Amino acid sequence: MAKKSVWSDNRFWQRSAAWITGFASVLLIWLTFDTSGQISMGNDSDLKNGVTKRVPGPTVINYKITYEMDKKRQHEVPVIGEKEKFFGRDDYSEEEAAKLLHLGKLGSQTKNCMNCHTLLGNGAYYAPDLTKAWLDPAWGPTGSMQAMTGKSTKEEAMAEFLQHPSQYPTHARMMPNLGITAEEAKGLVAFLKHMSSIDTNGFPRNFGKIQGAVNGK
Amino acid sequence: MNAMFEPFTDLVPSFFGTLAQGPLTLTIFLHTVIVLPMIWIYKQEKARLEQEGN
Repeated sequence: MAKKSVWSDNRFWQRSAAWITGFASVLLIWLTFDTSGQISMGNDSDLKNGVTKRVPGPTVINYKITYEMDKKRQHEVPVIGEKEKFFGRDDYSEEEAAKLLHLGKLGSQTKNCMNCHTLLGNGAYYAPDLTKAWLDPAWGPTGSMQAMTGKSTKEEAMAEFLQHPSQYPTHARMMPNLGITAEEAKGLVAFLKHMSSIDTNGFPRNFGKIQGAVNGK
Repeated sequence: MNAMFEPFTDLVPSFFGTLAQGPLTLTIFLHTVIVLPMIWIYKQEKARLEQEGN
């Protein structure tokens, strides 16, 4: 009788499959915990002490956020700077800021922003990606949106646009009027500002290189 | 020419951050934990088949 090859032996393949499946399961569980640790939100004292967290605490709305090229990581990263007024205040407590962000997050869900926009990689690409919307120069002091709404700050311009999108025509794909109230708009802008402070490893790719944008030509 | 292991640039030090440095680091890791044990399983099964006289 010819010698039986290990390659045609069932037990070898069963044991190999069991090993690979078992290891893959362990790896996935490990990755889940690794991710949870990385995406956990920081707090107010982190921000005060200059501790860099991938997701800063809610009080980041009290600070100026910029988006700068990191040569070593080869993509742009959010940089949290000096204090900056947000709707006239830069002293939001952790509870107030968290409440505002929560209102904005719930607002973005009830108005189904993701039906057209992308938030942190989720959602549609019909309308502009909102992940770094706060950093879009169109809302800045020299931006077209701030000029069009006639407001003097970024947050007021955004809140005004959110409440009356049909009054401020943008381009072919018009934002619908969703009946957003002033308080909801404030929450949504806080939510957008906080989201822009999240280090997303350079996502959305080339956001800063689009024409007229942060470091664009 | 880049060294295989660059200084860590990720925000949060993580084992997976080290693995994500390039294609080779991940490949070597997966070969170590998947392919090497399979060679070991192969040798054990071969020895068993020989002992059973197949």
